[in-house]
Amino acid sequence: MAEVSYVKASRVFSGNPPVRAVDELSLEVSDGEFLVLVGPSGSGKSTALRMLAGLEDVDEGAIHIGGKDVTNVPPKGRDIAMVFQSYALYPHMTVAENMGFALKLRGVPKTEIKAKVEEAAKMLDLTKYLERKPKALSGGQRQRVAMGRAIVREPSVFLMDEPLSNLDAKLRVETRANIAALQQRLGTTTIYVTHDQVEAMTMGHRVAVLKDGLLQQCDTPRALYDRPANAFVAGFIGSPAMNLKTVPITSEGAKLDGVIVPLSRAALDAAGGLDEVTFGIRPEALGIVPSGEEGMEMTVELVEELGADALVHGAVKIGDSSQRFVVRVDGRTPPTLGQHVKVAVRDHSEIHLFHPESGERLEA
Amino acid sequence: MRLRTNVDAAPGRSPRQAIPFLLPALVVLAALVLYPLVYSLIRSFFDARGDEFVGLSNYVDTFTDPRTLTAFRNNVIWVVVAPAAVTGLGLIFAVLTERIRWATAFRLVLFMPMAISLFASGIIFRLVYEEDPNQGIVNAAAVGVHDVFSPASQYPGARPREGYAATEAGFTAARPSRAGEVITLPLIGFSPQDVPAQALPASVPSAGDGELRGVVWLDVSVGGKAGSVDPTERGLPGVAVEAVREGKVVARTTTGDDGRFTFPDLARGEVVVRLPSSNFTLPFRGLTWLGPSLITPVIISSWIWIMTGFAITFIAAGLSAIPRDALEAARVDGATEWQVFRRVTIPLLSPVLLVVFVTLVINVLKIFELVFVIAPGSVQEEANVLALQMWQVSFGTGGDQGAGSALAVILFLLVAPAMLFNIRRFRRERS
Repeated sequence: MAEVSYVKASRVFSGNPPVRAVDELSLEVSDGEFLVLVGPSGSGKSTALRMLAGLEDVDEGAIHIGGKDVTNVPPKGRDIAMVFQSYALYPHMTVAENMGFALKLRGVPKTEIKAKVEEAAKMLDLTKYLERKPKALSGGQRQRVAMGRAIVREPSVFLMDEPLSNLDAKLRVETRANIAALQQRLGTTTIYVTHDQVEAMTMGHRVAVLKDGLLQQCDTPRALYDRPANAFVAGFIGSPAMNLKTVPITSEGAKLDGVIVPLSRAALDAAGGLDEVTFGIRPEALGIVPSGEEGMEMTVELVEELGADALVHGAVKIGDSSQRFVVRVDGRTPPTLGQHVKVAVRDHSEIHLFHPESGERLEA
Repeated sequence: MRLRTNVDAAPGRSPRQAIPFLLPALVVLAALVLYPLVYSLIRSFFDARGDEFVGLSNYVDTFTDPRTLTAFRNNVIWVVVAPAAVTGLGLIFAVLTERIRWATAFRLVLFMPMAISLFASGIIFRLVYEEDPNQGIVNAAAVGVHDVFSPASQYPGARPREGYAATEAGFTAARPSRAGEVITLPLIGFSPQDVPAQALPASVPSAGDGELRGVVWLDVSVGGKAGSVDPTERGLPGVAVEAVREGKVVARTTTGDDGRFTFPDLARGEVVVRLPSSNFTLPFRGLTWLGPSLITPVIISSWIWIMTGFAITFIAAGLSAIPRDALEAARVDGATEWQVFRRVTIPLLSPVLLVVFVTLVINVLKIFELVFVIAPGSVQEEANVLALQMWQVSFGTGGDQGAGSALAVILFLLVAPAMLFNIRRFRRERS
């Protein structure tokens, strides 16, 4: 059990110009917390995790585990366990040997290793496979062995680097729940890296969003969804993605296809002095209205039926250009392809405004 | 129209169609591999001229010929030492070069000996191990290092004219002396040109009370009297002289520029004068590398130099195929770098190591050129190996191709298991 903190930690890869894979990352993870690092590929999330593991140098700043500065401590001295994307099982060892390897290195007596491995195997439903080599296991079983290897060590921090990305969709959802439950039960501080925002939202107590090595926002899933700190987080969190359009702004509100979407006084004040803003609205805050009512003209280009509801993709004219919007509608009465529909904002409290250049949230 | 189901086109279905494609390869294989193989086998049952069937007598002769038995013994030494050494060195270098910049350049340099023919490498090593330090670099280095730690003596080869017994410790006087005497100690067996420049003309000191005095000089017989100090003769400076009583050295001194020495305070009683052997040791000239006792290790060392590049290349390729994640997982699991190497890298690398090792064993069993080139004719018998013996028996002075064929067959039988092992291994890897 331990808390983890990144103190302005950077990783700079030499090159011309040098690449700042992780740029002055500052993050506090409290004891027992499940923190998810999420971001698109190349955002530095894996590098950040590997820095914590000691597999990557910390070029600037520091990293603390359990209050101890471990910036220059090799991996073996950090009391961490890591689950790799590829699982990184030792192909020449059986499942039991894989799981007991760390204990064996530590000189734990054989009987104790055996007991601990069996206990973990029971927890992960691996008892039948203990004598097998990783080669003879399915992807899901291998994943569980990798988890088991981490659990057996009883480390102060778990590190997981996209542990589910090699599983099929169904198994992934199942394992996702299992890992979250396991973490809850063990109460071990966990840092989990993923590129999948659904995983991030469902598993993490808090989620840290990274982009180009820079921390964008770190908050609870709810807060990320409700109050994204900038246009990137707004677009990244939530599925389907938020509609983000740069639109002109007048004294009454934002202008979309002849329709003025009224904005609150506070929002207009925040956008004071700007001609344009980045206007963000989630597909679920939009709705199709009867043709007589006021709304944006949209031509339906694609309908994705998800069962309970449907996603309608369509083109809306804003100014001179045609912009695509996504609207979430009731699954039973979706519009048809090519149909012209009227789209209106259903919930005005769910409008997000961002600075058109910096992308920063304009607080309303 | 009925569609023809084209069963014949499926792979492996029609031997009739396969034959024309296989024929060229079959012809070449039969002519170049199968025929010589079978012919050698048959030939090994016939006598030297090839017209009388002698059954197994060629094989019996082979196993009773002491030359062949030496060759067998040497082949065993080769197989035990050389492949393991090369695989080990290859592993060490491959692992070390993985961590440095310019790794490829370094490996290239180590691989370069492979580009030279074994014959040329043999000639190089023949020179490297030449006994004369002025030619052979190994002995030149050995002499250089040796002389740093134990400098060469001043008067190598010189010895007293008479009255001194040569022992391990040096030249010991046959007669004891006592204080008050004067010892004349003529040395011979040394060239006057090599006497140090500071040497002064020798003269016999006068007797001193309570002191043992003497002179050491180079007694040239030309133009003087042997055993007495002539005017032209010079003393030998820097010669160590010891006074020994009952086996123990009681006093020690060195001669001056005029060759005189004095033991000032000798207690009463007799002593024996001794010139320690350090005055006269011959200079170190290195080892006789190409002599009978060292020849096989020398040739093996050359082979190791040549083949290590081969091993490095294969092992480095194997190393780069090891999943990096597994090594990192081991590090996170708390393994030290050595434990990572021992418990993860080596087991994962073992298939590659085995193939390299077996390939080297095959190579070593067939070793021929290096022995032929490096071993001088006089020690070729001691350095002999099976392939060389086969060649000498078949085409050398004997010209007995029956016995040579028998040796070839034996060699083939020795190599075959290793070949089969490798082939099976490759096949298993492909499946």
